[in-house]
Amino acid sequence: MLAHDSILVSMAVVLFGIVAVPVAMRTGRRGLLPYAFAAVYTNFFLVSVAAFAMVYALVTHDFSVSYVAQVGGRSTPLLFTVISLWGALEGSILFWAWVLSMYAAAVVWINSRRPGNLVPYAAATLLFVSFFFAILLVGPADPFGVVSPVPPDGPGPNPLLQNHILMAIHPPLLYLGYVGMSVPFAFAVGAMLSGEVETDDWMRITRRWTLSAWALLSAAIIAGMWWSYEVLGWGGYWAWDPVENASFLPWLTATAFLHSAMVQERRGMLRLWNLNLVVGTFLLTILGTFLTRSGIVSSVHAFTTGTIGYYFLAFIAIVMLASLALVAGNSERLRSTGRFDSAASRETVFLLNNLFLTAFMFTVLTGTLFPLVAEAIKGVKVSVGEPFFNRMSLPIVVTLLFLMGVGPALPWKAASKAELKAKLVPPAAGAGLMLVIALVAGARNVYALLAFAFAGYAAFANLREYWIGMRARRTAHGEGWGTALVRLVGGNRHRYGGYTAHLGVILVALGIAASSTFRTEYEATIKPGETISLSGHTLRLKSMWGREEPQRSVVGATLEVMDGSVVKGTMEPRMNFYPMSQAPVPTPAVRSRLLGDLYVNLQAFRPDGSNATIRVIYEPLVPWIWFGGGVVVFGALIAIFPTGRRTDA
Amino acid sequence: MTRLLAAIAFAVIGVVQQPQADSILEARTAEVAAQLRCPVCQGLSIQDSPSELSQQMRAVVKDQLREGKSPDEVKAYFISKYGEWILLEPKAKGFNVLVYALPIVLVLGGLGVIAVAVRKWTRAPDSPA
Repeated sequence: MLAHDSILVSMAVVLFGIVAVPVAMRTGRRGLLPYAFAAVYTNFFLVSVAAFAMVYALVTHDFSVSYVAQVGGRSTPLLFTVISLWGALEGSILFWAWVLSMYAAAVVWINSRRPGNLVPYAAATLLFVSFFFAILLVGPADPFGVVSPVPPDGPGPNPLLQNHILMAIHPPLLYLGYVGMSVPFAFAVGAMLSGEVETDDWMRITRRWTLSAWALLSAAIIAGMWWSYEVLGWGGYWAWDPVENASFLPWLTATAFLHSAMVQERRGMLRLWNLNLVVGTFLLTILGTFLTRSGIVSSVHAFTTGTIGYYFLAFIAIVMLASLALVAGNSERLRSTGRFDSAASRETVFLLNNLFLTAFMFTVLTGTLFPLVAEAIKGVKVSVGEPFFNRMSLPIVVTLLFLMGVGPALPWKAASKAELKAKLVPPAAGAGLMLVIALVAGARNVYALLAFAFAGYAAFANLREYWIGMRARRTAHGEGWGTALVRLVGGNRHRYGGYTAHLGVILVALGIAASSTFRTEYEATIKPGETISLSGHTLRLKSMWGREEPQRSVVGATLEVMDGSVVKGTMEPRMNFYPMSQAPVPTPAVRSRLLGDLYVNLQAFRPDGSNATIRVIYEPLVPWIWFGGGVVVFGALIAIFPTGRRTDA
Repeated sequence: MTRLLAAIAFAVIGVVQQPQADSILEARTAEVAAQLRCPVCQGLSIQDSPSELSQQMRAVVKDQLREGKSPDEVKAYFISKYGEWILLEPKAKGFNVLVYALPIVLVLGGLGVIAVAVRKWTRAPDSPA
């Protein structure tokens, strides 16, 4: 069929592009390069044809297509039919390939006129990655298989994936972020292949790409947490599930890179390390796709889910070996040109930041893969879950929070004793204040107290940087506070974008610390007319009801939020029954206020509606996590937008 | 800012007041249940999972604790039924020690490398690192 052929043709085109670039370089026939770039655009066109053909097949319920037969269903609402493009393995690989082809086309479109060999080699690298995904699409993850006889209807997408609108947002964001990490990777490889790694140009060119991919990945992780909170009905947002870990791993190394890149820009150091971070981030996105899409970790019968795992492992091995060879071949060019003036400097904090972010990544990676390793080597099944990850990551998290306050406070190069004191002591007021609040509120856990204190320290330190800059502008230019703020940030978007992102991370950290420390819950079985109370909130079960929808049956409870005898509002937790799923899919009701959420889930009910088991959870500061995620993305946007003039402080 | 934070403190204080009924047993149940894996979920504990099986398993935990079993005995009961896999955190014994030790080794080693590197980079202005 058309789509399948389209992928086959794209493979030939991509192969031509991959060969054309080195041939053009070796033989000096640069006239070939436009053809290689044309291959990038053609690939984008051909993969788009395949992707849109798949969406068309989904929407028209063409069950002769294997992927449609697998995830399609006549009763599924249109929106969820369209987004089931990324609801299962084959479709998500197609989506990956499509996003990658789009990125490659955009990169070439923007940079093709740049002289030198960097961009052609980067384009060839992106084509190489495209080729791998094309192989998957014609091989182990072929979505375009022919089903005969054609079934009259399909099962519909996984019920969990068609239960919330966030499923239309979270996966595309995640893929845009994940696949976006291919761009800095391609330029890093291109820089090493072309020998232009000496100039650090590849980092300047990819700075915005990396930041954008990072912002998208951040947004995707937060959206995924939100989805988990709104759909799974357990009142949490992060369970250290392998799928969640997979999205988090490249975020950690990318975050490390955003910081260590500044050391390279300023001091010409850490060049080898930065290349490793970029390659590592890319590999983690591939590993993450492999882990989440092959079913290897969540499945009890690991290693028996088809052959796609071997393709991924082979690709990862090839990329690792090739990168090592390239780094070795470029070791002379990767020498550091700079030095540190003092150990008491922002540079040192960046080193520590990188160590702890990398250690965080390593801890999560080890924990995620350990069950596989233990089963392969020792033949025993073990679980590595939330208690392990919490125990291991909390010391790292509080250290990172502390560093987030120390880093912005310290100057580049060197700080005198007096300067250290003037910079590091005042934020302790923020730490003290938060510590007192946490103690008064009843927190006794050491890590919780440290998290609140260091979050207070970091918030104070980062806000103080704005304050100092604004005050200086007022004195120097006589500007008002608002003007001073806008000009301050506009004059150095990179720096203040970073501080803004820090503030977002602090809000997220506070939300997580508060909701895991002060969360209270209560579960009870009540009859209509009876009430359930938790920490000052009273809910009265008004009625139970049921409703038939085309693709599911819904049972719900209507609860009234009481203030004395006054009804302040209603909440309607539901249970959704899909014909293809044994277990019902919950839809909890959430009532958000600035200081916390009232979260209500319908756990069970008697079919005649005479009683319902209701779980009520009060979740302090959870809305701060979503808001903080927005602030992080806003901070990244500040740094991404072009700077008119740059006044480095 | 201060006023906001004070308001948070107040809100949170209100939250700490637990429902009265057998709250000690509830808390102990929750503690044990948080360490046991829901067999039909992806990585959730039976404390967190709303699934029916988890609710039943929670009830078993609660019953056994009420009968006077210790948390370790309750866990041993579930290990005998499901294997060590049922524990969300592997016992730090034998091969499992690796998963605990490796990250610590990395952090300590990394701190050592940074200490040496910073010393070298700050001391020798002429020779590049």
